[in-house]
Amino acid sequence: MTTDVSNLGGRQAGGALAVELTGLEGLKLPRKSWFPRSTVIRVLSPLILLVAWELIVRIGKVGEIFLPPPLSVLRVFVRLTADGTLPYAIWMSFLRTGQGFLYGSLLGIIVGLFVGWSQIIEDIVDPLVAAIYPIPKSALFPLFMLWFGLGDPSKVVTILVGVLFLVLINTVTGVKTLNPILIRAARDLGASERQIFLKVVLPGALPNIFTGLRLGAGIALILVFVTELEATNSGLGYLLWESYQLMLVQQMFACIITFGILGILSTWFIQWLEKVLCPWSTTVTRQ
Amino acid sequence: MENICAIRNLTKVFFVERTGEYVHALDRIDLDLNRSEFLILLGPSGCGKSTLLFMLSGLDHPTSGEITFTEKSHDNKRLTCTVFQEYALFPWRTVIDNVAFGPEMRRVRKRARYREAERYIELVNLTGFETRFPNELSGGMRQRVALARALANDPEVILFDEPLAALDAQTRRVLQTELVSIWSKTKKTFVYVTHSLEEAVLLGERIVLMSSRPGRVKEIIDIADIPRPRSTTNEREVKVLAMLAEHIAAEVDKSMRREREL
Ligand SMILES: Nc1ncnc2c1ncn2[C@@H]1O[C@H](COP(=O)(O)OP(=O)(O)OP(=O)(O)O)[C@@H](O)[C@H]1O
Ligand SMILES: [Mg+2]
Repeated sequence: MTTDVSNLGGRQAGGALAVELTGLEGLKLPRKSWFPRSTVIRVLSPLILLVAWELIVRIGKVGEIFLPPPLSVLRVFVRLTADGTLPYAIWMSFLRTGQGFLYGSLLGIIVGLFVGWSQIIEDIVDPLVAAIYPIPKSALFPLFMLWFGLGDPSKVVTILVGVLFLVLINTVTGVKTLNPILIRAARDLGASERQIFLKVVLPGALPNIFTGLRLGAGIALILVFVTELEATNSGLGYLLWESYQLMLVQQMFACIITFGILGILSTWFIQWLEKVLCPWSTTVTRQ
Repeated sequence: MENICAIRNLTKVFFVERTGEYVHALDRIDLDLNRSEFLILLGPSGCGKSTLLFMLSGLDHPTSGEITFTEKSHDNKRLTCTVFQEYALFPWRTVIDNVAFGPEMRRVRKRARYREAERYIELVNLTGFETRFPNELSGGMRQRVALARALANDPEVILFDEPLAALDAQTRRVLQTELVSIWSKTKKTFVYVTHSLEEAVLLGERIVLMSSRPGRVKEIIDIADIPRPRSTTNEREVKVLAMLAEHIAAEVDKSMRREREL
């Protein structure tokens, strides 16, 4: 009797458990609760905060110029979305962040894998990383403007460098903490050095690579804001800064909230990617 | 009895870079492996059993002496495969992809290597668990996967380095029985390192007794004639056990005395 394994696509709940459960009828077993208490509380908590915020401003204890009521922020948010201002700003910021993040993380993963794998490459790269890593990456932005001009490239490169180091360091950790017996087992099963690199080192480092990507996404958002304060008239950071200078408080809040939403979306995206690419990882199963 | 591998005058000295010391792990080992035998390596801790397996696997080289297999490896096919105490399964691969790892490295097509893997998964009684990840399995099941993975690579010799040492007594018993049955079904040569005298007597055809460091072959006991299934309470088995115990006690004593002198 052989199973056609090509059809075993999805993850089965391998029979054993279901079998053990028969014959337990009549016992009082714990049941899945119908009331999603945790979810309800999690939705209520920010809602109550918003209501309180609205009330406090309405009652007039705080000047609207410092803290506009949520509803008026929402109104401005809708207007800015409808007239295209916000979508355009988001798109411009997304292009800069996306490019910087993509190139930075690819470079970080590739260099990180080699650094973790080869002592010689580590000896070459490590002192450079140690020297550059502690510099706040926003401090490099003026230098990059000098080198790459006032346009987008200097912003992209700043983001790239910020992401690169975080991904690189975490990738190296991933390779270094890989259990050496796995490499030995792969070699014992006939894997070539190249195959070990691609089929053992890379997947083995993936959970750490994802830690780097998560941190990198955070720094990318910070850096896109910082770099858009200067030498541009587009992007979310620019819009926020302009709102401040024109004292458009509602618009400021709309931008801040948008930054928050983008942060959440990028986190979700990376979590989703991790679930797809490393379904075995404990950080995935814990979520 | 067909000779499958000859170990001649094998000596291994490790150099510990950190301290600059030399460790004389194996000393002039002479040993022949017969085709399809179940060979046990038994000896006190640190006598070089794992080192000997490592040399046999070809992943490390002796300081002097040689290991010659009668078969020659072709198409990158490995002559040996190791089952480790720590299972050493790839956590990111499902059971079937772990088992099919060896064929995959030799670029066997997916369909063919899955068919092969499925055969061995069935042999180790894990049918139904193909799509599980190792961290979803018990220790005993993981070791079955590791065994299937070694078998699926179709080596001449399977090397076991204390494969059951981390398991509970119950699971160990079950797996010992299955090991013997798989050994007789597959006709592979098993070289099996263990600390357990009972295990040596329950499983082995020949027991190689090694002396404490530097590891030497002290004695080879042939127990192939003890009928199976074996039990640790039969007369013959009890006798062999007593003999092994005496030997091990003497070796451990010797190595402890030496350590005290150092
Ligand atoms: N890579 C190494 N570098 C230096 N010394 C080593 C190395 N590997 C093993 N040794 C030494 O060689 C000796 C034999 O080690 P080995 O692991 O083969 O013993 P063993 O018989 O398997 O012991 P155990 O039963 O505890 O597993 C030990 O003294 C060990 O410290
Ligand atoms: Mg050992």
